[in-house]
Amino acid sequence: MNNREKRDFEAGLNAELDAWLRGENTRRSFIKKFGLMTGLLATSGGILSPWTENALAQAAVDLADPSTPLGKAQAAAMKASTEGPADGSAYRAVQAAKQYSGVTINMTYETGLQALDPRNFSGPVWEQLTGIKSNVVELTNPDQYSKAVAEHIAGSGAYDVLDISPAWTPSMADGGVIAPLDDYIAKYMNQADLDDVHPLYKALPTYKGKIWGFFDDGDMFALYYRKDIFEDAKLKEAYQAKFSKALEPPKTWEEYAQIAQFITDNLAPNVYGAGHFRKAGSPGNQFDFLQQFRANGGVLFGDDMKAGLSSDAGMKTLTNMLAANAASIPGNNELDAVSLWAAFLQGKVAMIYSWPPTGRMAANYSQSAKAINFVPQSTIAGKVGYAVVPGNPEHATGYNKALSADSRNADAAYLFMQWVTSPPVSLARVMLPYALRDPYRLSHFKSELYGDLFPSAKEYLINLNNSANVGLLDIIMPGAQDYFLSLDRMCTSVWAGTDPKAALETAAAEWDQTTERLGVDQQKAYYEDFKKLPGSSADHTVEKMGLAVKL
Amino acid sequence: MTAVPTNRFDALSEWSDRHFKWLLVAPAVLLILALSVYPLLFSVWVLFVNYDFTVPGHAFVGFRNFTRVLADPVARWSLWVTVLLSTINVTLEFLLGLALALAMVRNFRGRGLIMSILIIPLFISPVIVGQAWALLLQRPFGPTNYVLSQILGYEVTIGWLTQAPWNFIALVLADVWQWTPFMFVILLAGLTAIPPNLYEAAELDGVDGWRAFWWITLPQLAPMILLAITFRILDAVRLFDTIFVMTGGGPGTNTYSSSFYLYTLGFTQFHLSEATAGAWIFLLLTAILITFLVRRLLRAEPT
Repeated sequence: MNNREKRDFEAGLNAELDAWLRGENTRRSFIKKFGLMTGLLATSGGILSPWTENALAQAAVDLADPSTPLGKAQAAAMKASTEGPADGSAYRAVQAAKQYSGVTINMTYETGLQALDPRNFSGPVWEQLTGIKSNVVELTNPDQYSKAVAEHIAGSGAYDVLDISPAWTPSMADGGVIAPLDDYIAKYMNQADLDDVHPLYKALPTYKGKIWGFFDDGDMFALYYRKDIFEDAKLKEAYQAKFSKALEPPKTWEEYAQIAQFITDNLAPNVYGAGHFRKAGSPGNQFDFLQQFRANGGVLFGDDMKAGLSSDAGMKTLTNMLAANAASIPGNNELDAVSLWAAFLQGKVAMIYSWPPTGRMAANYSQSAKAINFVPQSTIAGKVGYAVVPGNPEHATGYNKALSADSRNADAAYLFMQWVTSPPVSLARVMLPYALRDPYRLSHFKSELYGDLFPSAKEYLINLNNSANVGLLDIIMPGAQDYFLSLDRMCTSVWAGTDPKAALETAAAEWDQTTERLGVDQQKAYYEDFKKLPGSSADHTVEKMGLAVKL
Repeated sequence: MTAVPTNRFDALSEWSDRHFKWLLVAPAVLLILALSVYPLLFSVWVLFVNYDFTVPGHAFVGFRNFTRVLADPVARWSLWVTVLLSTINVTLEFLLGLALALAMVRNFRGRGLIMSILIIPLFISPVIVGQAWALLLQRPFGPTNYVLSQILGYEVTIGWLTQAPWNFIALVLADVWQWTPFMFVILLAGLTAIPPNLYEAAELDGVDGWRAFWWITLPQLAPMILLAITFRILDAVRLFDTIFVMTGGGPGTNTYSSSFYLYTLGFTQFHLSEATAGAWIFLLLTAILITFLVRRLLRAEPT
């Protein structure tokens, strides 16, 4: 310490001493108090946190009135979990999981309504049954992939249970992000429960002969139409006179556009024939193109793995989609899925095809939950009919529950997955009014309780099952995001006036680039695997394979 | 008075006093190292390897990530959109902000209230601004076309969010609405700082209002103008939020800005290496522009 430093030090010390004698705060006392407060906060956090977490978890359990169908389904799920049957997957999962009481499993869920299920129902109930806490990490859909991969690369072990799109399974399995479940299934599960899944969805978690998750969301597109309009005597007569055939739900895409235009011509501006979610970035474009393209005989990739988009089927598809757009509600190309639901529920649109919550909202069942009250009340309850989308409907995305390969609580995480997707528990979950999880088990489609959920629920379930029988799967192979993005860009540019043929060629070129980037041979191998799945093409549906489920 | 450490606690106190300044600075330094320096160095490594969530492994790929971005027509288009929108947005915001500042520079009844209202958009998140404008302009639920139809007397069916050039006009509207107050506030501060005796002398010499504006106001305001434009350009070239909410980049790739392109490349397609290469290219181009502006800013002196 030189002289100047020494002088400064002594002056500072004297100042501190003076301040201390006056009873004022000094730098040192500030540091001490700050340290004390920090220590107290840390300690109180440790003490208070478990108590508050537990209190919150208990308060969050959201059970329905036991006299309602949902309440009965929830009671049945609890009973199956606590009383058995002893060989049931739910009961076995709970019994085995009790040894892990106190651990916390981190699970990813799509942000928003999707996450209400584990926050309000399945997470808290699981904690009550087993003492295992759950921490729901809400992520946007792309982040459910990217964050999971990033955390795997970092080796953080941040997640235990991953909600993933089936399309991501090959990449995540090959990348070591997710773990195979075969050994766990053999140890813990009643394997008959695997046969309870509809054949379209059953193979979705299977890859290279192993099971990489449990399917958990039957996102099947279906056609929802206004029965009162289709049964209107004057309209029926006029349609018969004009087209020499009966006015009924369309069987082909040409018929669909024709009926939509007919209704618009006769009822607009009160009601328009159709509506679609065509907004850029809204996934409606890619799903719609994929289902119509394949229903029109389109082939995604040729034997050389060149994109098959720029073809007669591609032109026919875009031509039909343009005709449907022209017959639709003004602003059709600006709608996202929620806006389209709003238009349908307000009675402005006669036909839409969308995800299964459409049926529950149209019947005003979903809106009974506060969480979903941003969706308008249905003015068309009781007037909605259900039909299979012309040709082959798209199974648009869906969800698998997968086990993170980096999980530090792998057994506890697996057991949660087994329990939450077991027949009785998954039934209660797909019946939640705010749920965006949709029926996928045969026992869901056949459920009397679900059938009592709203007046036309039985027809709704039958239609979802029938749609799955002829349904098509999204592309399941690496690069799926790139292929989808190209389709969305292609469609929205065509809606804005780009020549369809030029747009198809641009999209095909982008697909080829993606294929080359990932390796033609590798992609070909993935595509060959995909083609084996029921629902990979219009010629290879569950029904065409003789596996159709009849209710 | 000399402090002689008598025990370990005193020694610790003395040490903490001696190094107190470093203790205060250390958290900030660590944060900067962790959140800026490390990611920056990491991104340099990512530039030259395969860091793509769809392709396993991190093989060295040289300059391939750069060449892919440079060869991508969407990248070039997005750069053009960025230049176009930034230029139009900043020009309009400057002109409107200057006009407002000139109108508000003198005191009048209600000036405080009007100024408060004028600067409200500055405090709103760009995402909310985008959502609000999307709701106003969207068909069939937005009121804009209805109001225009009532005013014009015929049905207006503009696709504000899906048809060029209306989608660009919509994006400009939202940006100008939000950021004109920024220009206004800075220019107003500059105007109030101009010595009034300059105008008094000009008045005595018989100089009219336009000449006074041209020869006194503009030169005196020049440093503030340059400052405001530099700050706005820095922000405008990052345009993302309103595009994400209002047009989703569409139709096709029509309203892709560079930021939106990089986001899509990195977080929708998961080609992180290419997105990083694109970000470095964009940074380089932005740095050239900003260096030029900052040099002008440092040189600017009222004459």
